[in-house]
Amino acid sequence: MTRNAIASILALAALALAVLAPTRSTAAPPEQPIRYTHKVHVTDYKLDCRFCHVYATKSASAGIPSVAKCMMCHRTIATDRPEIKKLAQYWKEKKPIPWVRVTELQEYTYFPHFRMVTYGKVPCLTCHPGIDRDDIAVQRQEFGMGWCLTCHRGRGVSIDCWTCHI
Amino acid sequence: MLNRRGFLKIGGATAFAALFGGCERLPKTLVPFVIPPENYALGESLWYASVCRQCPAGCGIVVRNSEGRAKKIEGNPLHPVNRGKLCARGQAGLQALYHPERLGTPLKLDGPRGSGKFREIPWEEALRLLMTGLSGVRAEAPTALLMLTDPMRGHRNLVSARFMKAFGSPHRVAWDPFGQDAHLSANEAVYGVRDLPEHDLAGTRYLLSFSGDFLETGVSPVHFGHAYGRMRAARPTVRGKFVHFGPRLSMTAANADAFLPVAPGTEGYAALGIAHVMVREKLTPAAAAAGGLWNAGLKEFTPQAAEEKTGVSAADIEAVAREFGANQPGLAMAGDAAAACTNGVFNLSAVGLLNLLAGNVGKPGGISFPDRLAAFASFGAEAKLLLPAAESGYPAVRDAVERMGKGKFRMALLSGATNPAFTLPPSLKFEEALLKVPTIVSFASFLDETTSLSDLVLPTPTYLEEWGDDLPPAGHGGEAITLGQPVVTPFRDTRSMPDVLIAAAKELGGPAAAALPWGSFRECLEKAYAGRGIDLEEAHKNGGIFSGKAGATRPAPKAGSPALPKAAEAAFAGDPARYPLVLHVYPSSALSDGRGANLPWLQELPDPIATAVWRNWVEVGPKTAAALALSDGDGVTVSSPFGSLQAFVFVHPAIAEGVAAMPLGQGHSRYGKYAADRGGNPYALLPASVESATKAPARHATRVSLVKTRMKGALVRTVHPEGQWLYENIL
Repeated sequence: MTRNAIASILALAALALAVLAPTRSTAAPPEQPIRYTHKVHVTDYKLDCRFCHVYATKSASAGIPSVAKCMMCHRTIATDRPEIKKLAQYWKEKKPIPWVRVTELQEYTYFPHFRMVTYGKVPCLTCHPGIDRDDIAVQRQEFGMGWCLTCHRGRGVSIDCWTCHI
Repeated sequence: MLNRRGFLKIGGATAFAALFGGCERLPKTLVPFVIPPENYALGESLWYASVCRQCPAGCGIVVRNSEGRAKKIEGNPLHPVNRGKLCARGQAGLQALYHPERLGTPLKLDGPRGSGKFREIPWEEALRLLMTGLSGVRAEAPTALLMLTDPMRGHRNLVSARFMKAFGSPHRVAWDPFGQDAHLSANEAVYGVRDLPEHDLAGTRYLLSFSGDFLETGVSPVHFGHAYGRMRAARPTVRGKFVHFGPRLSMTAANADAFLPVAPGTEGYAALGIAHVMVREKLTPAAAAAGGLWNAGLKEFTPQAAEEKTGVSAADIEAVAREFGANQPGLAMAGDAAAACTNGVFNLSAVGLLNLLAGNVGKPGGISFPDRLAAFASFGAEAKLLLPAAESGYPAVRDAVERMGKGKFRMALLSGATNPAFTLPPSLKFEEALLKVPTIVSFASFLDETTSLSDLVLPTPTYLEEWGDDLPPAGHGGEAITLGQPVVTPFRDTRSMPDVLIAAAKELGGPAAAALPWGSFRECLEKAYAGRGIDLEEAHKNGGIFSGKAGATRPAPKAGSPALPKAAEAAFAGDPARYPLVLHVYPSSALSDGRGANLPWLQELPDPIATAVWRNWVEVGPKTAAALALSDGDGVTVSSPFGSLQAFVFVHPAIAEGVAAMPLGQGHSRYGKYAADRGGNPYALLPASVESATKAPARHATRVSLVKTRMKGALVRTVHPEGQWLYENIL
């Protein structure tokens, strides 16, 4: 086999890996209806993630805070900022805010937040690294199977297929 | 504060749009609540208590509700009737809720009458049409209004009764093909109480059943099923014995320790044979004291005489009588097949006599008559409207059909699951007569044989979407008021019948408006129970008001020496030479009287004995089949003097010879794609005969013939009737 042929095969293999690997870009944050910043809420004011994502401890989905929840504080806090005015407008019209999904998982997996958060005691930032410093949330962690398995093995949690693929 | 309905609305509108958007990828937008409902947690279930209306037993249910959708129905553990259990029909209620053929918009006839062709119209137009009809009839001849429904109970019935009374028409007819007329008359004759009793199955030591399939159909199958389980297994030292007399081995009979096949309509003679032995041998103190019966004629009814009539050997009758006498408290029960013969009252009175001879009336493990009316004393004269009406209403139906035929009615309001165009004998010509009524308005969730004859169909919510209350006919001491509530926001644009009647009464004004003074049916219920010292919110959480204490009992049933019932033979239409077999029809354990036929879960539920699905069949014994040169799976034409249909033969290994049995429920011509074209309708074989004393319909009153016929397809069964380990199969 010539060196060229080997190089071609290697190049093809690399290409195949690139194609098959999860292709999420971490560069461009999606356009959100309101420029919500995790940094101000989590890092600066030290709010617990679960203060807003209330279902994380008891449901499969962590949940998005209701408009009423945002307004609990923003009735009086920073009411003159343009982004808060947008929020107030949603509240006034009693319309939900159409947030754009940031974190995605493959559809064939089942990820129950409450198992990790309540029983596994896994900190939120383990799976959502850096989100506490984002001005606009970005998904930085790819949820590849190897990454999940590493964590499951390290913690001695079941790696039975049907634990996650149901 | 957000109320529960508001919560359901928001839940339905927001979270659901996102979660159930279709089978695409995960939605790209995440839409939160504007205001989250109370007690809400994403993905967590809430259970709402309500009432089952899949059959008239009135079991309590709890419905699992997640993200605003009903996902599972189970029995309400607090409910005295079913104690947390629920049958397959109750479980299938979800399919009625989500049914693709459910009516969601008012329909106006758009073609010839009876064609079943409709077009959708808005509610405003539908109500205007209804009001035009009602006002016209009331102005000219109020008695020309007919209301034909299934037997209603609770305030639903009260609203309808008040509406018709205030309107000025006495013609309110409730039709139930499985009415308990013969039971009521027999109870009046034997015990002196015209009411349905409580049978303490759980506490009895020896149960005698006469043609009653109480575990699968009948008055309250889940209640009896649970009590039966306790009779057999809940006591440390006693395992109650169960002996079943009946023409065929039903699922109930299959559970018995002994099954004794009797010729149809001879159950009374079997009971008298047992009574003869009990009195002759003074088997119980009560039998010893009943010497007067002997000379009144009981001495004629020897076990040998019973053998001649019933086909059960005299030795078996003597053995059963001695065991029954020795194991007290014992209980005797009779069911639909014994009641729906032309001699039903005789059969049931003879069975009642056994309870008197056992001395178990009003005692634990026996039969008792709670005073259900006592709990509603505060409702005065209207209390009776709230209680279950046990009658079939057949005489009133026949009268109504006659009047319709003579053009006496100008408008008919129809409602209910009992579907008279399907369940009445065709010789009554119900459909023909109904179409002579100038205006027909139906309240319905589905277009069945009856509602598709209408001019106007007003869509109603299913029982999972509406308010209501219910008083179950059996299984409690008279103190169980079940409350129903919507467990989901109504899916379609529907209005319940009581709500429409209340609105119509308001529009009619005068006495009608005064008789129905509420803004809605919910308000009517709240006002009715508000004055009774009940925390209604708590009651809705529990699914009703269950006092837990034994209800008031009636004054001691008829004392003194019991009377001997007047013997009567069952009559069967048709010449025995031409129609050699006696037809025995029974309600299907899945489809009930036919109302369940549009639910695929029930269609695909194998019959507990025949294991067949999606079709009906005719059962004959092996000897009968051999005599007619029929084998299992053959197609036959079943003919009675009144009609004929095609069915597959099921050679039933345990059925009285000379009997052809068919389950009721299949054979719909309308009622949607799941119900239609699944074999013939056995109701169409039945005569218009009546029980001689009560004038209730006598279903078991005709003979049939079977003629081999070529039929397409086959009866789908899960196992061979003689067991999947049939000898040939093993080889």
